[in-house]
Amino acid sequence: MLRRRQRAAGPSGAHAPRHGDVGEDRSLTPAETAVLERLRAVLDTTGLQAGLRTGHFGRATYRRDASFLNADPLAVALPQTIEQTAAVLRACREHGIPVTPRAAGTGLAGGATPTGEGGARPVVISVARMDRLRELDVANRRAWVEPGLVNARLGRAAAAHGLRFAPDPASQLAATLGGNVATNAGGIHVLTYGVMSQHVLAVELMDLEGEVHLLDGRAPEQGGLDLRGVSVGSEGTLGVVVGACLRLLPAPPAVGTLLAGFPSLEAAAATVAALVTSERLPDAIELMDARAIELVEGYAQAGYPQHAAAVLLIEYEGLPAGVTEGVATAARLAAEHGASEVIPAADAAQRARIWKGRKAVAGAIAKQAPDFYLQDVVVPRSRLGEMLDAVVAIGEREGLTILNVVHAGDGNLHPFVLFDRREPAMLERVFAAGHDIVATALRLDGTVTGEHGVGIEKRDFLGQVFDEDDLAVQKAVRDALEPTRLANPDKVLPTTVGCLEARMVPEGAWV
Amino acid sequence: MGVTATTSWRPTDTDEVAAALADARAADQAVEIRGAGSVLDRLPGGDEPTITTRGLDGIVAHVPEDLIVTVRAGTLVRELAGELAAHGQECPIEPIGEDGATVGGRLATALAGPRQLGAGRVRDWVLRVRFVTGGGRAATAGGVTVKDVTGYDLCRLMTGSWGTLGIITEVTLKLRPVPRHPRWFATEAPDPQVFRRLYRPAAVVTTAARTHVLLEDHPDDTAAQAAAAGLAPAESPVLPATARAALDPAAVAGFLAEVGREEIGPDGTLEVASQDQLGLCHLDGTAGAIRTARAVAERHGGRLLVLDPALGVPAFGPGHGPGPLTRRVAAALDPDARLAPWRWER
Repeated sequence: MLRRRQRAAGPSGAHAPRHGDVGEDRSLTPAETAVLERLRAVLDTTGLQAGLRTGHFGRATYRRDASFLNADPLAVALPQTIEQTAAVLRACREHGIPVTPRAAGTGLAGGATPTGEGGARPVVISVARMDRLRELDVANRRAWVEPGLVNARLGRAAAAHGLRFAPDPASQLAATLGGNVATNAGGIHVLTYGVMSQHVLAVELMDLEGEVHLLDGRAPEQGGLDLRGVSVGSEGTLGVVVGACLRLLPAPPAVGTLLAGFPSLEAAAATVAALVTSERLPDAIELMDARAIELVEGYAQAGYPQHAAAVLLIEYEGLPAGVTEGVATAARLAAEHGASEVIPAADAAQRARIWKGRKAVAGAIAKQAPDFYLQDVVVPRSRLGEMLDAVVAIGEREGLTILNVVHAGDGNLHPFVLFDRREPAMLERVFAAGHDIVATALRLDGTVTGEHGVGIEKRDFLGQVFDEDDLAVQKAVRDALEPTRLANPDKVLPTTVGCLEARMVPEGAWV
Repeated sequence: MGVTATTSWRPTDTDEVAAALADARAADQAVEIRGAGSVLDRLPGGDEPTITTRGLDGIVAHVPEDLIVTVRAGTLVRELAGELAAHGQECPIEPIGEDGATVGGRLATALAGPRQLGAGRVRDWVLRVRFVTGGGRAATAGGVTVKDVTGYDLCRLMTGSWGTLGIITEVTLKLRPVPRHPRWFATEAPDPQVFRRLYRPAAVVTTAARTHVLLEDHPDDTAAQAAAAGLAPAESPVLPATARAALDPAAVAGFLAEVGREEIGPDGTLEVASQDQLGLCHLDGTAGAIRTARAVAERHGGRLLVLDPALGVPAFGPGHGPGPLTRRVAAALDPDARLAPWRWER
C-alpha cells in the first residue's frame, strides 16, 4: 500500500530551493559552526550508521517529508537515546539554531521540511532510531513506546496478545508512532474509534532545554491541564516527543465488510448520510470514485464493479450478531439508494481483496501519472455530495484528472490530482485546483486539514479558518509551552514573514 | 469602581461574558465561575464575585445528519440529552452524580462518567469550543467537522481546565446513535477482572458486593456475553459521590487493599466503588476516612478530589498543584489571574 517513486530530476528553475542546493558549498555562520562542533561531540560522525550527517548526501535525504516542500538543513542528527536527544536540543538552544523533529517522513504537509524563520537552517533531529517498544502492558492494555517505533510494529506486537492499536493511517507500514502523535494522525477506522489523541494516554515531551515533561498518564483527571492533548498534533512545534503511552483495545471477535457500487456519486453520498444516521455506526466507510475504481482495478484486481460511478467500502467490527445486523442494514440502505451491486465479503480473503483496492490507490497512481498532488480537506458529512461535485467541477475547469478517495464517514476527502510536471504551466494549474478545493471546503463549513496536518502547506489558510483572536490564543499557548521559538519554526501558525514559495520535488506519497 | 465583593454577573452571550470580565478587571477582582452547581459550586468557596453561565442557555443548532450539536454552555446536560434522544442520538457525557450539571460545567471539570470505559473521555466528544480567556479575548478553537487538525487542539485544553483559563460560552459536540439495548448486569462477588471475559463493555464498576457491568450491544451478543462471563441482570450501581481518587490503573488494587484495611474501612466509615480500568475510585466516608484515603492515594501516585464541601476537607490535595508548564499556559491566557486563581488551593 505504500509506494514511493524516486526520480533523479532536480527541482525546476522556477521552484529552486531557497537554500543552497545539493552539491553546493555552504558557508557557515559562527553559531552554525559552533553547534556542529557540539553535535560531533555527542554523535558518531562516521560510517553508514553515523548519528550526525553534515555532508551533501547525508543532508539531501532529509530535505523533505512526503510533501513537495523541501529545504536544506544545516545537519541531520539521529540520536539513539534520550540523553543524546537532550544534548542535541541543548546545543541548538544555546546557539539559537532551530530544530525540525521528524521520524519516517511520511507527512504530507511539509511539517518535517527543515525551514527556519528568516532563512535560518535548522538541524533535523530524527527520532527514527529510538524505536523500542518499551513495555507492552497487557494487563492494563497499554504500551509505552519510543517515538521511532513504526505503527504497524506495535500492531503486530499487540495482536500476539489479542489486542490492537486502533489508529491505522494508510502509511502505517512506515509511519512512526511519534509522528502519529505529532500529527494527531487519523486513518480508516476513525469513525467510531476516533483519531490518535483518543488513544494517547501520555506523552513524554522534551523541551528545548532537554527536559522531559510527562504529560498525563498517571492520574487521568482532576486538576492540571490537558497538555497531553495540546501536544498531540502540535507537529513538533512544542518540542520533541521522546515517548508515549498508548491505549490498546481488544481485537474484535467479528468483522463484516461490504462493497457497494453506485451509478452516481450522489447516490453513494446519500448512502453515507443514511449510514451515519442509522442505528449503528459502521466502523469504516470509504468512498472511491469512478476514476479511482478504474485505476485500482487495473492494478490490484480487487473486484470492484467497473461501470460504477462510485463504490463504498463499509465495515462493521465487534460482536457477531451486531456485525451481522450492521452488514444487513448497510446492504439494505445501499440498495434503497440505488446501489447497482452489493457484495458482502464472504470470508477473510475476500475482505482482504476488497481492502487491497483501497490501499493500492497510491501505487496505482504511481503507474498512471508521473506526479500527483494529494489534498486533505474535511466537510460536515451532509455536505459530502456537494463537495464531491465541486471537486469534479474543479478538475474539469483546470483540465486535470482528479480522483477521489474519501474517508466518507468522517467527511474527509483526499482528492488526488494527477499530472505531469513537465507540461508547461502545469504546476500553476495543480496548485490552483488545490487552492480551489480548500476554498470550497471552507465555504461548506469544512476545514483545511482533517488528518495530514497544517505543516507549511496549510499554514497560510489558518487566517481563513480562524480570526485574529483565535490565532492570538493559539500563539499564546504555543509560546507559553515553547518560549524559545526554535522548535520547528515556520510551521502550523501563519508567520508575519510571508509565504514560502512552494518548491516541487517529485516524490511518492502515502494516503 | 463600585463593584463589591458580592457582585455577580449573569451574561447571556459571549460579549457579555467579556464585559463581565472587563468589569472584574476594572475593579481588580478575581471571579469564580458558576454553572448549575453540580461540581464547581460545591467546591469550598468564599464570597468572591461570580460569573454564572446559566444565562448562556439553549441549543444553537442540532444537525442530526452530521451527528453534531452546538449548544450554549449554560444548558443543562439533561435538557440537551432530551433533545438528542428525540432524534435517537446521544453525547455520552452524562453527569457524574447529580442531575443538574451544565454542558459547560461538564467540560470544565471533565470528570469521567460511568461510561467513559466504552465511550472515551469527555474531551474526545468536543469538536469546537468558544470561550473568553481570563485576559478578555473571545476565541474559538476547533471546528464543526469530526476530524480536524487545523491548529493546536485547544478544545482538549479547555476541557478539564476547571474554569481557570477561560469561560466556555458555547460548544459543538460529536454525537452517536443512542444504544438501543443498554442492560446492567452483575457478578455474584466482586470481580474487577471480569472485563477480560467481555468484548468492550460500556462500563464496569466494582463495589464491595459485586462487579456491575453495562452492556450496550445487540441483545443476542449481550446475552452470549453475559452467559459466558457468568453475569446476572442487575440494577445500575449508585456511585459514592463524596470524593474520587484517580490513580494509575495498575495502582488501583494496591490502593483498594490499603483503604480497605481496618483503620479506615471495617467500621463502615468508607464505602468505595472502583472503575479499575479507568483508574478511578469513588468514595463516601467521614472526613477522617477521606483524608486518610487521600494520603493513601497520593502514596500510590494518585490524587483524591473531594466533591462534598460539607466534609470540610479541601477539594484538591497538595498533589493537584499545577506544574510549571500548566502555570505558564495559565499565565498566558489569564495573565492577571482573574479566573479562580484559588482553584487548586481549596
